[in-house]
Amino acid sequence: MSKAEKFSVVGQKVSRFEGYERVAGESRFIADIVVPGMLSGKILRSPYPHARIVKIDTSKAEKVRGVRAVVTAEDTIKRGWGAFFPDQYPLSEGKSRYVGEEVAAVAAIDGDIAEEAVDLIDVEWDELPAVFDAEEAMKEGAPLIHEDKERNIAMQFDVERGDIQRAFAESDLIVEDTFESMPQWHCAIETIGSVADYDTSGKYTVYMNTQTVFMARARIAAALGIRETDVRIIQSAVGGGFGGKSSDDNNAIVAAVLARKAGKPVKIINTREEEFLAGSRPRVNMKIWVRMGFKKDGRIRAKHTRVIADNGAYCGKAPAITGVAALRHDTCYKYSDVRAQAFLVYTNKIPTGAFRGFGNPSAEWAVEQAIDKACHELGIDPLDLARLNAADPGYVSPHGNRVQSCELKQCLDMTEKMMDWKKKWANKKPNIGMGLACTVHVSGKRHFGDYDGSSATIKVNEDGKALILSGEGEVGQGVFTAMCQIAAEELGVLLEDVEISSADTDLTTFCLGAFASRLTYVSGNAVRDAAGKVKEQLFETAAEMLEARAEDLVCKEGRIFVQEAEHKSVTVADVARARLFRRGGAPIVASGSFDADSMSQDASRYGNESGAYNFGCQAAEVAVDPDTGQVKVLNYVVASDCGTVINPIGAEGQVEGAIAQGIGYALIEGIRMEDGRPINPNFGDYRIPSMRDMPPLTHGFAQSYEPTGPFGAKGLGELGMDPTAAVINNAIFDAVGVRIKKLPITPEKIFMALREKESQKK
Amino acid sequence: MLIRTMKRQIVLTVNGEEHDIEIEPNRLLLQALREDIGLTGTKEGCSIGVCGACSVTIDGRLVSSCLTLAVGCQGKEITTIEGLAKDGKLHPIQQAFLEYGGFQCGICTPGQIIAAKALLDSQPNPSEEEVKEWMSGNLCRCTGYYKILESVMAVVQNKISTEHGARKGQAARIQSLYKSDS
Repeated sequence: MSKAEKFSVVGQKVSRFEGYERVAGESRFIADIVVPGMLSGKILRSPYPHARIVKIDTSKAEKVRGVRAVVTAEDTIKRGWGAFFPDQYPLSEGKSRYVGEEVAAVAAIDGDIAEEAVDLIDVEWDELPAVFDAEEAMKEGAPLIHEDKERNIAMQFDVERGDIQRAFAESDLIVEDTFESMPQWHCAIETIGSVADYDTSGKYTVYMNTQTVFMARARIAAALGIRETDVRIIQSAVGGGFGGKSSDDNNAIVAAVLARKAGKPVKIINTREEEFLAGSRPRVNMKIWVRMGFKKDGRIRAKHTRVIADNGAYCGKAPAITGVAALRHDTCYKYSDVRAQAFLVYTNKIPTGAFRGFGNPSAEWAVEQAIDKACHELGIDPLDLARLNAADPGYVSPHGNRVQSCELKQCLDMTEKMMDWKKKWANKKPNIGMGLACTVHVSGKRHFGDYDGSSATIKVNEDGKALILSGEGEVGQGVFTAMCQIAAEELGVLLEDVEISSADTDLTTFCLGAFASRLTYVSGNAVRDAAGKVKEQLFETAAEMLEARAEDLVCKEGRIFVQEAEHKSVTVADVARARLFRRGGAPIVASGSFDADSMSQDASRYGNESGAYNFGCQAAEVAVDPDTGQVKVLNYVVASDCGTVINPIGAEGQVEGAIAQGIGYALIEGIRMEDGRPINPNFGDYRIPSMRDMPPLTHGFAQSYEPTGPFGAKGLGELGMDPTAAVINNAIFDAVGVRIKKLPITPEKIFMALREKESQKK
Repeated sequence: MLIRTMKRQIVLTVNGEEHDIEIEPNRLLLQALREDIGLTGTKEGCSIGVCGACSVTIDGRLVSSCLTLAVGCQGKEITTIEGLAKDGKLHPIQQAFLEYGGFQCGICTPGQIIAAKALLDSQPNPSEEEVKEWMSGNLCRCTGYYKILESVMAVVQNKISTEHGARKGQAARIQSLYKSDS
């Protein structure tokens, strides 16, 4: 039986502790926050994809009654900032590099006046030639977007493990193709926003809907040229993140600059249009050429990929995302000889960046289709080929990723059962097809300095209630509740007697925030560590009260007693009060910490990305209408290995939400751009899945236990998104024999491809 | 040039209470609710009436408050999310969303619940297909909709428990604050 059976709080289906305020509409999102004297901020954005600023005249704007401040780059230290390369400015310095870039801003007593003033800011532009395609941007003679980056290449690498030439020579089948993924907008129902305040002592306080308070603090401080502690970030309730609110945009920095000049708090909330133009950084679109060699029994022998990633105008997190796209999927199967080349190229479009999956969806879009091609050519069931190659516990990828727990094979078995795969694969019906793909993801990633950890402090109040002080925050995934469950399990108290604070950089200790599916694993371990130390203090005092030895005590549902002698007990509240109200008294409080046993990649990109890896398998049964190209997903199946499931409601929610975004990515979403400008940046034209678009879904979690995770848990949040587009496209190929190479998969593309296939037959 | 028109004094009846406010004729109901009355439960998601985050009911009819002028709502019964719970006791739809996890980040949740209420108040026994059709005007980016549908069907099928999970104590404590409720 799984070890999860032994837990009393962990593994239980519990409703989230913020549930009441969520269903009552009481949560304070950034747009709901009002502070005395607050001004409304509006931003002037570049209308050109690439243009030099000759002159900015703000005099007319400044004269509008009700305007309190107008700012340009002159009001900043003109220092670039960014997650990896400091190439982005708070307000355009010398030139703007994409439509939507922040050029100037106004703070006024209300939004209408601010908007009027923005319209009165006179900018004299000198338009420059622009480039919108990564391959075009790499050519000699292409317009240079950043003066110090030759051929617009922000980053490139070429790594080889083993002997790729020999490996291909030893392959019985070679499959080669090029696949193109597309940018995807997060479309969180809440847009990015902030309320920034500056006080005379020189300190900024910023409320923002960031996923990462400490990273936001570091970047805002760097952009403003101040120390980290001169900025206080307080996380408001976040209305959906998915990577889009991980502090790579300028919203809060511009608000801070305005607040300082106006001497008043300033609120800037992105409109939906602004969100599309310059808000959350859309998924990095990539063109991936892949060549794979297989033995005739289906074993993977060689792989060579070349990734050309579209950076947009500034780097943000794209360097790491490109690295992931090139290398991470090699942790899924047993590879020996691989070569990965990658180019990250600037273009004059909105900077691309972090979106659930972080490069993995693009990689799996390409590689899982190449594998599927091989299955069809070799006449091998994709399920069997996956099983033959699947990673096992203890596997070390060619790039150094060390797999501990791995239940990928169990996920394949579960997929087979849930989809009735074997029977359906053997009894194909016309225009109905089956597809599957496997996936791997991390539980945290070591790439922000040599640290992939978390910390937390737990205090126990006099009424016996524990409070976790954590800076990791909550973005809607339910991590607050999961952390409370972990603490409650470790302490031995009721879940309702544990609470967690909001994320505030002044009141909590350093941690990295929500990304890379890290929180359950990394933060969970830190919280457990803190809880363990709190328990020591509880037992020390309880031992005195019960005249027993601390090592003989247990705590169950908030009562502490000697094992086997439950009749004589003290409550946690009794102990908290006893330890405090006495001579030499002290409150019960302890800090915990955890850093994953991962290793930074070296110059050749060899290293262990993460402390734990999660795995999964997905399968789809689709029907394609050959007369219209319409695709209907008849059945979708997902099996996930996330170790111990801390809260089934939260975990199921993550899988279900990820599948919805994956289906959107594959079949529904897609922006249209003209000269770097999104045409109709709104929800009417950029459609995201609605309730009607969701297929029948069956999913489950593997029996799994990650030895390095809190109570055996590891990450899950992104896993569901990674392979979905490939799964659906594999199923479409199986149904009608055409393979769309560039996302999105539209009925038009399928229809045209079928027509072409027909005409080729003739 | 910004043209300011004269503000008008109107009375809006929201969740059974009358509110005297002074607004411009082009003020949207969404802004009047959030900023002039201070009921921030109704959210702005898209500004063009597509996402449903701004859903309220006016005389029982489901509308997008981001497309509705406040001045046109005088004399009508407006219901927002804040009007559903009574004396600390959640509406059955809110109970269901809580129990079945019909929310994640919560930004679309008020709209989802109001939309569900508008449906169930007029049609207490819809099929799953009818619920899907009705609720497709409420976008959610977090949940994938499965648990939202499950929550609504739980109300239809009367499968809500007032105590659930490990939060029994919390529910009981809130109930005890409202001693008049027996």
